[in-house]
Amino acid sequence: MKIAVGGKGGSGKTTVAGTLARVLAERGHRVVAMDDDSNPNLAMTLGVPPGEASSLPSIPRDWLEERPDDEGGTRLELKVPAEEFIDRFGVSAGPNLTLLVMGQPNHGGSG
Amino acid sequence: MRGVLRGLVSTATRTTVVDLEAGLEHLSRGTARHVDTLLLIAEPYFKSLEAAQRSFALAQDLGIGRISMVANKIRTPRDEQTVREFASRHAAQIAGVIPYDPAVVEADERGTAVIDQRPDATSVAAIRRLADELLSTAS
Repeated sequence: MKIAVGGKGGSGKTTVAGTLARVLAERGHRVVAMDDDSNPNLAMTLGVPPGEASSLPSIPRDWLEERPDDEGGTRLELKVPAEEFIDRFGVSAGPNLTLLVMGQPNHGGSG
Repeated sequence: MRGVLRGLVSTATRTTVVDLEAGLEHLSRGTARHVDTLLLIAEPYFKSLEAAQRSFALAQDLGIGRISMVANKIRTPRDEQTVREFASRHAAQIAGVIPYDPAVVEADERGTAVIDQRPDATSVAAIRRLADELLSTAS
């Protein structure tokens, strides 16, 4: 299952996303929680201590390649399998649960 | 990072939960296109419901399989009724109803997870029911 959680700022979407990820992990699902908000707070609602949930370090260039996008430009895409990426850059948030903080701009050369 | 996130969401083999950027434009940029379930969190007041409704229409255009509203910060039966009536007027499903819960505010203030701080909180119980609902109807 691949779930996205959206809503206005202040709607409580991050609390719902984080708690839902925790509940799914408790029930034995292997879960990756991805924070794509530019003001990343998902770590807190997952119970990851502050400081452990740094955003992604720069992605190695050879993990990325430029591909054309829908708007006539190019965008960087991932060359390695998602699972390898998650194992390398994810932060453990407890049994079965990994956090990826995506939302910071200026990583890997694209916004 | 758009392309990277898209690739991650579309090829990850594990259960994936993405906390999207607040607002609408994010949906149209296609990050959410690769999910099978979109949960739109709505509070029981007009502006929040309107925003959820616009996202709902946009997500339908993207062809996301299951789009559901989740009513959040519900204080009264009337609050719940407001969201339910809105959803039914717009033919939107409601996957969960989460009460307003001071335990969430307290956890936010302390910088902790509500599920750790108060595992028995009413909001946590409601999110457990939401998980049940999603798992029982997963495609």
